[in-house]
Amino acid sequence: MKPFDIVIVGGGGAGLYAAMEAMKTNPALNIAVLSKVYPNRSHTSAAQGGANAALANKAKDDSVEMHIFDTIKGSDYLADQDAVDVLCSEAPKIIRELENIGTPWSRMEDNTIAQRPFGGAGRPRCCYCADKTGHTILQTLYEQCLRKGVLFFNEYFALNLSVHGSRSRGLIAMNMKTGKVEAFPAKTVIFATGGYAKMYWNRSSNAAGNTGDGQAIAYRAGIPMKDMEIVQFHPTGLRKSGLLVTEGARGEGGYLINKDGERFMARYAKEKMELGPRDLVSRSIETEILEGRGFDSPAGKYIHLDLRHLGADLIKSRLPQIREMTLNFEGVDPIEEPIPIRPTAHYSMGGIDTDNFGRTVMDGVYAAGECACVSVHGANRLGGNSLLDILVFGRIAGHTAAEEAGKFEPGSISEEDLRESVEDIRARMQPSGHYERYGALREELGQTLALNVGIFRESSLLHKGIQDIAELKERFKKVRVFDSSDVFNTNLQQVLELQNMLDLAETVAVGALAREESRGSHTRIDFPVRDDEKWHKHTLATLVDGKATPGEKPVTMGRYELQERTY
Amino acid sequence: MTETIDQHQEGKRDVTFRVFRFNPQVDSKPYFDDYTISAERGITVLRSLNYIKEHVDATLSFRAFCQAGICGSCGMRVNGISKLACTSQVWDELDKCREPGIIRVEPLRSLPMIKDLIVDMDPLVDKMTRYANWVDSTMPLAEMGKKEFLISEEEFQQYDKATDCILCASCVSECSILRANTEYVSPAVLLKSYRMNVDSRDGIHDLRLAELVKDHGVWDCTHCYRCQESCVKSIPIMEAIHAIREDALEKRGPRDTSGAKHAEAFMEDIEKKGKLVEATLPIRTNGVVWTLTNLLPMAMKMIVKRRTPPPPPLVKSAKGIKIFRAMFREMTEHVKQDHLKSHKK
Repeated sequence: MKPFDIVIVGGGGAGLYAAMEAMKTNPALNIAVLSKVYPNRSHTSAAQGGANAALANKAKDDSVEMHIFDTIKGSDYLADQDAVDVLCSEAPKIIRELENIGTPWSRMEDNTIAQRPFGGAGRPRCCYCADKTGHTILQTLYEQCLRKGVLFFNEYFALNLSVHGSRSRGLIAMNMKTGKVEAFPAKTVIFATGGYAKMYWNRSSNAAGNTGDGQAIAYRAGIPMKDMEIVQFHPTGLRKSGLLVTEGARGEGGYLINKDGERFMARYAKEKMELGPRDLVSRSIETEILEGRGFDSPAGKYIHLDLRHLGADLIKSRLPQIREMTLNFEGVDPIEEPIPIRPTAHYSMGGIDTDNFGRTVMDGVYAAGECACVSVHGANRLGGNSLLDILVFGRIAGHTAAEEAGKFEPGSISEEDLRESVEDIRARMQPSGHYERYGALREELGQTLALNVGIFRESSLLHKGIQDIAELKERFKKVRVFDSSDVFNTNLQQVLELQNMLDLAETVAVGALAREESRGSHTRIDFPVRDDEKWHKHTLATLVDGKATPGEKPVTMGRYELQERTY
Repeated sequence: MTETIDQHQEGKRDVTFRVFRFNPQVDSKPYFDDYTISAERGITVLRSLNYIKEHVDATLSFRAFCQAGICGSCGMRVNGISKLACTSQVWDELDKCREPGIIRVEPLRSLPMIKDLIVDMDPLVDKMTRYANWVDSTMPLAEMGKKEFLISEEEFQQYDKATDCILCASCVSECSILRANTEYVSPAVLLKSYRMNVDSRDGIHDLRLAELVKDHGVWDCTHCYRCQESCVKSIPIMEAIHAIREDALEKRGPRDTSGAKHAEAFMEDIEKKGKLVEATLPIRTNGVVWTLTNLLPMAMKMIVKRRTPPPPPLVKSAKGIKIFRAMFREMTEHVKQDHLKSHKK
């Protein structure tokens, strides 16, 4: 194949924006976007809330400066202040640009882009399109990429970087339609593959494919991961699927009830009750379950979100989508029954360590979006900042790669490299004696993470988690692929995704053990307070001799001094 | 063998999934496999398929991603109807089975088969490209990102519902025209085209419309409404198709294409006689030459079988035609007024 200037891995918001911007920066470049799904299926579509930008359409006194401060404070001061500066300063421009190319933003009475209040923000600055913001942004970007004739390789599963010395020569990927392993020699590669929170499996709100493929590939190539231990949990996920029941249900007056029939939030937030901040409500529910006041089911322990007292009329008129969702996904009508819920892993703040331009430590390799950690979210991401992150840094990564591609030699991938990847796969498909089922391992990985590397962390639990993950990795060697066909072998794909999750799970657990403090979403029972003296820094995890080796990196400070985070 | 998907005190039901199978590498033609599992209330069709893949048959192939009804990956036919597997409850489907206890699961129609429940989506993407399903912004490149277009609530309402489309291709699978002609533009692409055409930020409305009125375009729809009935997001797709046609008639005139002429001839007959003069309809739609070359053999067969429509002079006006004409003119006037109003906005 003709060498590419830029190969973008992932077709969600970050990948598509990178493609558009790279083409704009230098139309002569040969650019390809690889995606394991059709780009319009990407998980960007699931973001409902919106994207923050200080447009000051709603609150006239809003400013970029206030957005910066809210984000830094929200991050529990772990975000890099120069990166947050870029995020918030670029926000108004990028939201307007999306508007200019067709995103159907909801509107205010004066016909400007509508904005609404969101958690942790001092002003209403979240731009939205009803409850389908991510979906409409993704559609717009995909439409524009089709318009510009971006070269897509849809349903290609990325396997490895081809690395020689300190440099990548391109990407190796499997064409799902044919099963063929193909080389994509490239001067530059941009990873935009989304988050890794699906490693919590049924305790995750993520799509089945959010398995951290880009991070795992970069990690195996020796690129460090940053702040991997920091994972955000949402309080109300459905028991069986982990899917989100949005905050609106509690906003309208829903109760959280344990198996003794108590509105237990009285114990944790007497004033705010069910409407306390996300992390507090998550921790409260988890405490109830851990102390034996949850309901029991084979799908795991849970508590009730009860809406029945609100009455059929209110539920039908104000919460129709929540009702539809619980009917569709749990078979429960909230008019007649309480909804079974428990906290669910929602977003991964950590990822591939990059600078403010999307560069990784490896020449010619870039990353953007949830897959990267710049870091703009620090220890806790604010609602409305994740869509913004993928847009702003997707664009920056595309621009940087387009500018820098000329510096690098054209990539070439040897037959030997390709053969290695094929043999890795073939080995999995050879029948042998004792074997393991990937489905069981995947469930067990989710369980041990939720239990030992979940909302509450503690030294002995984390050691147990690390040991479990090591054992799962050992058992994974015996996983067999039963489907021997070349065409659309989803059995093989799911096994490879499990491998990626297992590799990254180790970095999450090791980072969580290293960080001996509680900050943002990371809660250590044995170290319950934020320790700025020892831990105001990023953790790194690098693969050395097959093991996750911890490291650290300072946090870039700026105008804002460390303060206690209270609301 | 009956496997258990999820033990629960609420009770379970045995369900057989009769699943369409086809692997192009080994199968000369498709067949069905039966999988019987025990499913509790609240389990979706997709969760059942996941369970079967993990525990019973790892070779069963289907697409699934978000599992929450927003990504559109798991479009398939369940008990004969195209829908998302992830939002379909097994116990609800049990009430719709033709054979009790057996849920049929098949791939979407009118798209090329790849394997089992997976079909090729490329034809749909190609059509989105052909019909320019994007906003070609009137904002100059140098001005991008500097200011907003001001969009009224009325305009937003025109395309709000259409932007719900997740391209799951359920409508593509249900469309009766596509089953006869895969080149047909397809309901999803018409919906998207409509959404772009009513967007004031877009600058290529006329070009898009010119493409839409060509062969295999907007005039090929037969108003069967199956797209709208099967839409998983309840989008009124037919309203969008009608709106494109009205737009085409208004902007390009009734003599523009065969489709427009056909609609015009229809209107003429209905106004004059209250029913169709079928014998001359093809001539008025496609002209004498086309009719003679394309329909003469069929006309001969019709004569032999004595199935010819009556010649125009013999088509009598329908009963009560005077009252009907008055109503017809009143309605036409209403439509004209509405158009005027919408243009004033």
